[in-house]
Formats: sequence, structure tokens, C-alpha cells
Amino acid sequence: MSSAGATVRASSARGYRLPDLWRYRGMMWSLVVRDLKVKYQRSLFGFLWTLLNPLLTVGLLVVVFQHIVRIPVPDYWAFLISGYFVWNFLTQSLSSGAYIIASHGALRRSVAFPSEVLVISAVVSRLVEFMLEMSLALLAITVFHHHGAPASLLLLPVLVVIQLVMTVGLLMPIAAASVFYTDVQHALPIALLSLFYISPVFYPATMVPEAVRQLYFVNPVAGLMTLFHTVLYEGRVPSFPLLAGTAAAACALFVVGYVIFKRYSPTFAELV
Amino acid sequence: MLCRGVEKRFHHYEHRTTSLRELFIRVARRRPITVRRAVFTLRDFDLRVERGEGVALIGDNGCGKSTALRLIAGVYRPTAGLVETNGRLAAVIELGVGFHPELTGVENVGLYGAVMGLSRREVAARREEVEDFAELGDFMREPVKFYSSGMQARLAFAVAVVCASPEILLLDEVLAVGDAGFQHKCRERLRLLHEQGVTIITVSHDLDSLGDICRRAVWLEHGAMRMDGDLATVVDAYRAASA
Repeated sequence: MSSAGATVRASSARGYRLPDLWRYRGMMWSLVVRDLKVKYQRSLFGFLWTLLNPLLTVGLLVVVFQHIVRIPVPDYWAFLISGYFVWNFLTQSLSSGAYIIASHGALRRSVAFPSEVLVISAVVSRLVEFMLEMSLALLAITVFHHHGAPASLLLLPVLVVIQLVMTVGLLMPIAAASVFYTDVQHALPIALLSLFYISPVFYPATMVPEAVRQLYFVNPVAGLMTLFHTVLYEGRVPSFPLLAGTAAAACALFVVGYVIFKRYSPTFAELV
Repeated sequence: MLCRGVEKRFHHYEHRTTSLRELFIRVARRRPITVRRAVFTLRDFDLRVERGEGVALIGDNGCGKSTALRLIAGVYRPTAGLVETNGRLAAVIELGVGFHPELTGVENVGLYGAVMGLSRREVAARREEVEDFAELGDFMREPVKFYSSGMQARLAFAVAVVCASPEILLLDEVLAVGDAGFQHKCRERLRLLHEQGVTIITVSHDLDSLGDICRRAVWLEHGAMRMDGDLATVVDAYRAASA
């Protein structure tokens, strides 16, 4: 009658460990499907919005930064879409995932499961949308920009893994903080807006003055965006220090974020 | 199911810093960030329930019954002590079992099944039985936000009892909102589960309806166990004390 193999549970000070999460993949997937369903149901264009929205933004940015501000980058559209969807994934994950614990309060108070599942499901939902956008961008870049597929594209899965680890690492402390502090809803939008300007989203990192370049790359998102620009737009293999440095920063963010999250997650059920 | 020396401490916050601005001011002035005083909700809670046993938790409002259930369900982590459960556990602690208001009844059944660790095929196989039991008809295809509380209780019970097919069932006064017909049906179902050897732990103020399922009762008072024993004896003592 019982299908979930291990149902013996001892609850004390110790909580769930990272490997335990694998048992909750069914739940995670269910949450993802539900999230996408709720987001797009009863809207006229449905899932089309996931493409329409960023495409309209990209169009707007191309008009402004190619024709008005005139950023000196050939094939500006190709440059922009090689990184913009990564940026979009990051902001969407952070802003929609920040309140994921509170918005699942009833579930959190009724059933025992690791809270990480909620955070990861929020990111995976955005990943589904990102994959869709990215495949279109990839198609456009290979056909109209490179007229072929450069070998550097093989690195793309590695970059996506770095992007995922970094996003989950950033989201965990934000999601935990939003349970305790209402500041998050005021601070997050301005933080994301600042990040948009201090990261190479609509301009290449090479435009940043040499003198402050090193300081500029302290921001791990700058490294991530530059990786995508190099691999997708330039079609080159990125330098090892950049790749390894960004991967290390992503891992560090994940570890710190995870420790903070684990420190506070046992009390979520009492507070939401 | 075993609870050994379980203690759950909640804090009453006389002052709690909930904004960063205040945090900075308080740190700068070297004032404590939070001023709290422990309120003991549950202490020295020892309870051993054997497989197939039916136990009723009784006591006044705020005595710690629901806290005890949430600790057993694993939703709350004990401040001290140990809670052990052996078997698939389902709990109906508040109205609904964590339903998502925007999803339909059917979709919520699927989500809950996934949360309980059932495969999609297992959920599909039990869906019809859940729908039959809940008797919600076409409302199963409506978002749960349009449900009345009685309808939510129906779906919650159906989902927890039929879909999850638990070996340990925790119920917190869920039957109170259902109509008489449904209450009767649930009681029949609980009796059947009891015969099949499902462990049932319930919180109820409806003392007369507990008889066929629970032989044993635990009386909680101000977070401490006041009495543990035969249902009739404990209920009589509780009534005598309340009168």
C-alpha cells in the first residue's frame, strides 16, 4: 500500500540533507507545472507571453541602444540576445522566487517537506521559459550572425549550470529573509535595477574603463554575462580564469546561501 | 509513532525588529535586536502510539493539541526531544491540506499526490475514488478558491484519506465543517481504516463521536499532559474539570 520507499522519519534538531531532495523530484516537477499553468491560464496569449514579453523588451533595447545611445557593437541585436535572456532568467527567478515560502504557507503548515523544494521549483519554472527563449536566440544567432555554429557553443550547457547554481545561491537567502523582513519587497526591485546597470546586459564589459575593470568583475553576474557574450556572440572559448572564477563565485554563493537558508528554514512553518 | 521528551518552545516577542532601518538603529544604539520571552506551548510530551491504535487529543483551546499534531506531522521541528514516525503519514490540520486557490480540485489532488510522493500513475488510479468520496461533482473542475469551507473540508479529507492512503492519519477537527451526511460518511471511513490497522490520532471537541475509533484519550492542559488513558475515563475527568 505504501509506495514511497522510506517512510520512517525521525524528527529532531536535524533536518533534511541535500541528497534527500532527490526523493522530492516528483513534487518539484508538479510545482513547476502548476506554476506555469497558473501563470498563463486565462490569459489570451497564454504561453506566448513568455516569448512576447522579452522579445518586446529586446526590441525596445535595440532601438534605444543601437539608434539613440549607439553602443559601438556590430550586430547589436545579436550581442543583446546572447545575454539578455540570462539576465531575464536571473531577475525573474529572484523576483518571483522571493516570496515563494509565504505564498505556499498553507502547504508549508500542513505537510512535511524540505523548503528547498519550493525555492528550486521557482527557479526551474523560470528555467523552462529560459530554455524556450534561448533556443530561439540560439537559432537567430547561428543563422544570421555566425552563419554557422561555432564550436564554442558546446560550452553552453556548462554556462547554464553555472547560471543555475548562482541563481539558486542568490535566491535562497532572499527567500529566507522575506519570511522575516518586509524590507525585501522594497529592497529587491531597486537592487535588481542597480544590478541591471552595473552588469554588462546592454553594453559589453569591454566598455568599462580599464582602471575599474577588476572592481567591476567583483560582481559575479558581470562574469556570467561576459561568459555568455564570449561563447554566444563572439563564438570564442572564454579565458580559463573567467570561466573558473565565475564557477567558483557561483559555488561560493550557493554554499553561503544554503547555509543561511538551512539556518532559518526550520521556523518557516511557524511564521508564514 | 513515538514522542520522547518532546518540547516545543514558542517565543512571545515583546519587541521584534522587522525592518533593516530599525536593525541599524538598534545595533548602533547597542539595544537588543529582539526582546523575547519563551512561552512554553508543549513540554515533556511523551506519547507512544502503537500501529492501529486510535488516540484522541482533548483539552481547552490553546492547550497545544494542534502543536502536538504538527510536531508529529514533522511540520514543526521540536525544540528538544525526539519524534519518530514509522509509516506513510497524512495530516489534515487546517482547512484544506495546503490547497492552491487558483488550481482546480482535480489539479490540487495531483499536486497533493506528488507532495505525498505518489507517482502520476498512482494518483490517476485513485482520482476517481477521491472524486466519488468527495461528492463535489462538477466543482472538481473549478478552482478551489470558489469552494465553501465545507467543500474544502470534503476535498481535504478525501485527498488525505483516499489518495494518500496513509498508515498514520492525523486529523484536527476537520469534520466539524462538513454537513451531517458527510460527517457520517467520514466516520464510517475512519472506522474502516481503523479496522484495517491505520493509526489515527485526532483532535476533537466532539467527544461523543470519538467512541468507535479511539479507545484512548490524552488530555492536554497548558502544554502539559494531564491525563492519558481510557477514552471514557479521560473524557469524564475532562468534563468534570471543565464544568
